[in-house]
Amino acid sequence: MRAYLALLGAGFHRQTTYRLALAAGLATAAFFGVVRTAVFFALYRERDQVAGLEVADTVTYVWILQGLFAVVWAPWFWELAEAIRSGEFAVELLRPGDPYLRLAAFDLGRSLSLLATRTVPVLAVAAPVLPLRLPGTAGGLALLAASLVLAAMVSFQLRFLFGATAFWTPDYRSMFLLVFPVLWLASGFVIPVDFFPAPLRALVDWSPLMPLVMAPVRVATGRSAALVVAGQVAWVLALWLAGRLVLAAASRRLVVHGG
Amino acid sequence: MAERLGVYLRLAAASVRATARRPAHLAARFLAAALIVTLEVAGVALLLDRFGSIGGWRPAEVVLLFGLGFTAQGLALVFGDTLEADEVSKLVRRGTFDQILTRPASPLGWVVASYVDTRFLGRSLAGAATVVWAADRARVAWTAGRAGLAVLAVACAAAIIFGVLLAAAGFTFVTVQGSEAVDVLIYGGQYLASYPMHIYGSALRFLFVWLVPIGLAIYVPTLGVLGREGPPGLPTWLAWLAAPVAAAFLAGGWLAWRAGIRHYVGTGS
Repeated sequence: MRAYLALLGAGFHRQTTYRLALAAGLATAAFFGVVRTAVFFALYRERDQVAGLEVADTVTYVWILQGLFAVVWAPWFWELAEAIRSGEFAVELLRPGDPYLRLAAFDLGRSLSLLATRTVPVLAVAAPVLPLRLPGTAGGLALLAASLVLAAMVSFQLRFLFGATAFWTPDYRSMFLLVFPVLWLASGFVIPVDFFPAPLRALVDWSPLMPLVMAPVRVATGRSAALVVAGQVAWVLALWLAGRLVLAAASRRLVVHGG
Repeated sequence: MAERLGVYLRLAAASVRATARRPAHLAARFLAAALIVTLEVAGVALLLDRFGSIGGWRPAEVVLLFGLGFTAQGLALVFGDTLEADEVSKLVRRGTFDQILTRPASPLGWVVASYVDTRFLGRSLAGAATVVWAADRARVAWTAGRAGLAVLAVACAAAIIFGVLLAAAGFTFVTVQGSEAVDVLIYGGQYLASYPMHIYGSALRFLFVWLVPIGLAIYVPTLGVLGREGPPGLPTWLAWLAAPVAAAFLAGGWLAWRAGIRHYVGTGS
């Protein structure tokens, strides 16, 4: 257990060393946030509620999305796939302890660093000046924090499954780039999934994309928050199982080239 | 001059042939570039249909702006993708740029021609298809003049995005490390200009109409295409300024690139 905590700490410190990237990332998040906020203000000028959302809900969506962007699309997105293709991953299997938990701990450390340096500041700056709908009670804030961390965990687990495709095909990039646009739209990066047609929305609500962006937004705006967090936990467990199975299958067929 | 141009054309042809050696790979990348435009536009169309209008514009009219923006962005990236910070940073760190400087050709011509990336044409084609579809739904009565305005919008916006890429590359020669901040001007500017400019506050409007004039390049000609009057301060006749302003911006980007090269120090590798 202590080893995994140390890995988590190492991941956290590793990510905080990129100061220039942090400033650029915050500037980018703020810019897109301002533009998207202006768009929603303009859309809601003549109406109060659309698809059950008010302007405050959509603005909260915008800023949670901007804050979580770097956490979900982690800058080290291709790391695992590249390590598998180059063969470096074999070393990972030789190290003591459980490889999946070790990767998860290190990744969570880096993600927590991003949550602390990107998500929190973005929300802290936007909340006082814009009509955000954030929880007012300690319990509500704790649920939101839990939901954000769970989003980061699901992000790791999905990235792990994508990275693992490199065990089977060296051209993992092309494959991912073809799926990416669909994931991009379906996880709610373009618009809140609430605006999707009902069948499509139901499909997304029951998919592992739900915990990434839309779950924290719903927890923040106080829509059956406890239930949404429970759903995220269920996905973490399901994806953990899937990750273990894939890793077990891959380790059996892993062939390392070179000496 | 004609001989010089021939060299660049041959370089470009070579890089296109190199990517065509793996047709399945190229097709996948091309399709992915087109898909990202299609799904982004689909999302925006779903959102706008729920609301019915934004700033007095109908959904199809806004989608037209998106189409023009993506067409221009794709064109600029076909030639300018290597000027993105990460790529220039690689050229500098690996010492590749040292070799480029010793060649009897202009460094810019060399870099652009040898890294032409045709997959971004997928983005342009999907963008152009979006324009045609949106114009049909917005009941645009195409005339030669209106088609000319649409072409003007794409050409000017592509020149501006290329200018941003040039300036960013010049900046990267000094910092060596790439920066995500450039994305704000390339992708953020295009995103912003894909909604009618009059929904924004005066600061954003000024910034993206006159300083990084992508709003002037896309929004103002589109007013003409749709037969709309512009808001106060942005009359439709300003479309005539789009070409000279875009050219001036491109020239500014080129100067920044030159200044960057003058400060270039090899990394010794």
